[in-house]
Amino acid sequence: MYVLPYVVLQWLRQAAINARRRDRTARYLLWSVLAGIAGGVMLVLVAAFVALLWSVSLWWLGLAMIAVLVVPVIGSALVRWVLVPAGAHRLAYRVAMFSRPGPDPAAFALCAAAWASRSGTAVAWVEARRDARRPLGDAEIAATALLAAGRGDAQTARELLRSLAMIVEDHAAVRELAGEWLACDAAERGAWPELAEHAAAARWPATPLTFLLEGIAARHTGDPAAPSSRELWARWLVAPRRRATRPLVVEAAAVTGAPAGHAPADPAAPAAADPTPLPCAVAAHLAFDAEPVTAASLASAVTAWDTALGDDATRAWLARRANELDAPPGAAARAIQDVAGAVTDDLARIAEAARLGAPPGARGPVGGNLARRLRHGRLDALEAAFSRWADRRHDRTPHPSIDEWREFVALWTAYGAAVAAGGLELRRLAFPNAFTKGSHMAAWLWNKREEYALSHAISKWLLDEALAVGDTEAIELGHRNCALAVPTRLGHVSP
Amino acid sequence: MKILDNPFFVLGLPAEASRIEIEREAQKLLGMLELGFAEAASYATPLGPKLRTAEMVRAAVAALRDPYQRLVAELWARHAPPPRPEPPQRPAPLPSRDGLRRALGWRP
Repeated sequence: MYVLPYVVLQWLRQAAINARRRDRTARYLLWSVLAGIAGGVMLVLVAAFVALLWSVSLWWLGLAMIAVLVVPVIGSALVRWVLVPAGAHRLAYRVAMFSRPGPDPAAFALCAAAWASRSGTAVAWVEARRDARRPLGDAEIAATALLAAGRGDAQTARELLRSLAMIVEDHAAVRELAGEWLACDAAERGAWPELAEHAAAARWPATPLTFLLEGIAARHTGDPAAPSSRELWARWLVAPRRRATRPLVVEAAAVTGAPAGHAPADPAAPAAADPTPLPCAVAAHLAFDAEPVTAASLASAVTAWDTALGDDATRAWLARRANELDAPPGAAARAIQDVAGAVTDDLARIAEAARLGAPPGARGPVGGNLARRLRHGRLDALEAAFSRWADRRHDRTPHPSIDEWREFVALWTAYGAAVAAGGLELRRLAFPNAFTKGSHMAAWLWNKREEYALSHAISKWLLDEALAVGDTEAIELGHRNCALAVPTRLGHVSP
Repeated sequence: MKILDNPFFVLGLPAEASRIEIEREAQKLLGMLELGFAEAASYATPLGPKLRTAEMVRAAVAALRDPYQRLVAELWARHAPPPRPEPPQRPAPLPSRDGLRRALGWRP
């Protein structure tokens, strides 16, 4: 009388949660409500069953039934609302194990324990559990990220959680936690475009809180597919932490139309001819001290300087003043060179600090030198870092697998930043060295360390880069490597 | 050459100043600095006031004695925006959401 409805409801609830993980439309709310109703009815059934057992003096069996039948329904909520705030990492691990999060419950349990870890003992306990699980997969990386977040190291947590997108082993419950942390992190930083981009790519299965924050991000970025105010409030009702999210929803609901802020100027657009180019260049240069540096403002300053230093009127004025001041022969040309050098030094420092590349197509005395300087500096740094990474294969003491991954993630982040700043030209120059070193490391991780998911992630990244730069030999090798089935705890994954 | 340390700004003179005016102004500023006059302790630049020292005054006047260095200094000073009495206003920072991650149940 009780078992069959319970099993059916359990199936229905899990089906609704699975459907919700694949959906980011208004149906998401329906699936959430359905899962909630199914869970509520299951609890009523269990209560009736336990009352029946109690009435026939089988209270001990009633208690056992509560443990067996209630924990799977309320396990996730218990972890989130009670065990994590209390710092009960061991209990969080056990409860998460019994919450039926999927075919590999220890993965979610490890993350729950990492989330609840407060003390050094708890961290050591989680790390020991993590290191015992080999090969490394998404849960071990997410748990390491949550431990870093617990230490206050948000940057490491952010990079590690973002890197999960490269790992083929996919525990939905783990990905949900990762996606929620990243969404909350982006909301705290006000990085709405970043969060909207994650949502558009459906990079992570969304929890109700993630879904709400993604809706808020869509409103802030002026996405045409952004939810209406009514739908936003509906998401708010379904999501937890309503008191904390209410101001965000009020703010987002008030946003209408295009996002606030100035539309960035097109850096490639030619600057209008100015009758007084040198004062414009000096003013553009000094503006960096008063306003945030953007790619557009850097491009504008570079164009202004190249125009000013190549301007006939500037050269004529310099020649005349040099003559009047009785300066040595060639002083005017030397002054142009010196000013160009000083300006390039200053702009290179500014671009490095803001992680910007040289404006595309800049060829003047300032633009050309700036492009060369930034490209060479970044290439040298990348090559040295990749060489250090590849040398790890020859270390006598093997590093833990998570450290190998962290080293790669640091390189991947640096490479991404350099390529974003330097454009396709720098990407083409940086790729051959990255490919050589990365291929060796991927083969070593697969053959010697049996870290299949990590090796595949590196090979897949190299293949994507090879496709971007059009390296046919690397594309061929990348396709061969990436076609290998990857052994994971969830079975062999055939990419 | 950093525009903030431009010799003409340090001496508080226009770029058209003659050699004699430069020498006279440098002597005057050195005397005022030695006596601790408050008005000599800073100078105006396009990015707001900056602290002035006797070493800076001596370096500025020495730079302007050299025709080539004066040419470069003039190139900057003649084309710079006018000096400001106050530093430029920086744009207001975005509203802070510090602690939101924690309020949503996550650390740090």
